[in-house]
Amino acid sequence: MNIEELKNQIIDALNLEDLKPEDIDNDAPLFGEGLGLDSIDALELIVLMEKYYGIKLQNPAEGKQIFKSVNCMAEYIDAHRTK
Amino acid sequence: MSLEHDNWKGTTGGMPWMQRTLIKWLSVIDQRVIYVVMAVVVPWYMLLGHRCYLAIYHFYRRDRHESWWRAFVHSYVNHFRFGQVVIDRFAAFGGKQFRFMFDAEQQEAYLDLGRQPEGFVQVSCHMGNYELAGYSMRQESKRMYPLVFMGETETMMLNRQKLFADHNIEMVPVSDDMSHIFALNNALRDGNIASMPGDRVFGSPKAIACRMMDGVCDLPAGPFQMAVTRDCALTAVFVMKERWDTYRVWCYVMRPDLSLDKRQRVAQLAQRFADLMTEMIDRYPTQWFNYFDFIRYEDD
Repeated sequence: MNIEELKNQIIDALNLEDLKPEDIDNDAPLFGEGLGLDSIDALELIVLMEKYYGIKLQNPAEGKQIFKSVNCMAEYIDAHRTK
Repeated sequence: MSLEHDNWKGTTGGMPWMQRTLIKWLSVIDQRVIYVVMAVVVPWYMLLGHRCYLAIYHFYRRDRHESWWRAFVHSYVNHFRFGQVVIDRFAAFGGKQFRFMFDAEQQEAYLDLGRQPEGFVQVSCHMGNYELAGYSMRQESKRMYPLVFMGETETMMLNRQKLFADHNIEMVPVSDDMSHIFALNNALRDGNIASMPGDRVFGSPKAIACRMMDGVCDLPAGPFQMAVTRDCALTAVFVMKERWDTYRVWCYVMRPDLSLDKRQRVAQLAQRFADLMTEMIDRYPTQWFNYFDFIRYEDD
């Protein structure tokens, strides 16, 4: 999994034009502190996982773990991607 | 003076036992009897609920440029209408059937959307009696998932659930763990309908500033962004009271303009919805039930 590519996809999906991939800490929390994302951003990330990696997330409890950080997302993608 | 959004919770008033009693009464008596009682009670309500009265008086006086006398009369009728739609809701809980009129072309466009495999987002606002739309706007092949704020009493929620169960509707409560986002996304992915208010910023604080009348209003980004992100249609539905037992349903189908970038598409849908709300206010000026300063001005 290319972390830089994932970060670019996140920046693009969330319209975070002011950020560069290197500004995002791989282990920083995406929600609350860290990037400070909220529920609407969660939708963007769910759709991103579906669009680029064929992963259909259904379970909120699972989502909480996956969206903990960029590294957690990358690990999950590596294990479950279908495309 | 600015009457903030937080001062108006938008939940149904009354203790649970009062609501249960009203439902029982309305299952045996004509709701017009309650309307008559309400006509007498409304001035007291305006006096006691002074903040709501001031907010709506402002709306007519400042936003709609009405004379003080007309604004006062409209404020009275607005409170009366609001009482009527709440009573109608309880009457529906008690088994009362209402008549719903549709524009044939709009209804066909809506039904046609229901025949497509894709899901769609439906937005409503605090005008007329949208909640009754659930009883009239059934889609044969789609289940509706309305996003609800869990501030209502147990009596309201139980009665809603009971009625909605027969109408292919499943409520999705707003939740801190964002499970509502997963539920709405699943609904759209499975070709169903995600329904939410388009005039109230809750859940996510993200808002889109839209032109409305001579000022600006902040609409929640959620429903519009959801339609753009999932690349699906967005419908705006207004259920407006016309006679004591009759509502007219106005239904508009919108699609994001794919020639625009994503942010512009979201803004375009939100602006279109603000324009539709303005049109509805012009048609039904006394059925606007946002009791806070919804429209802001540069000099506020």
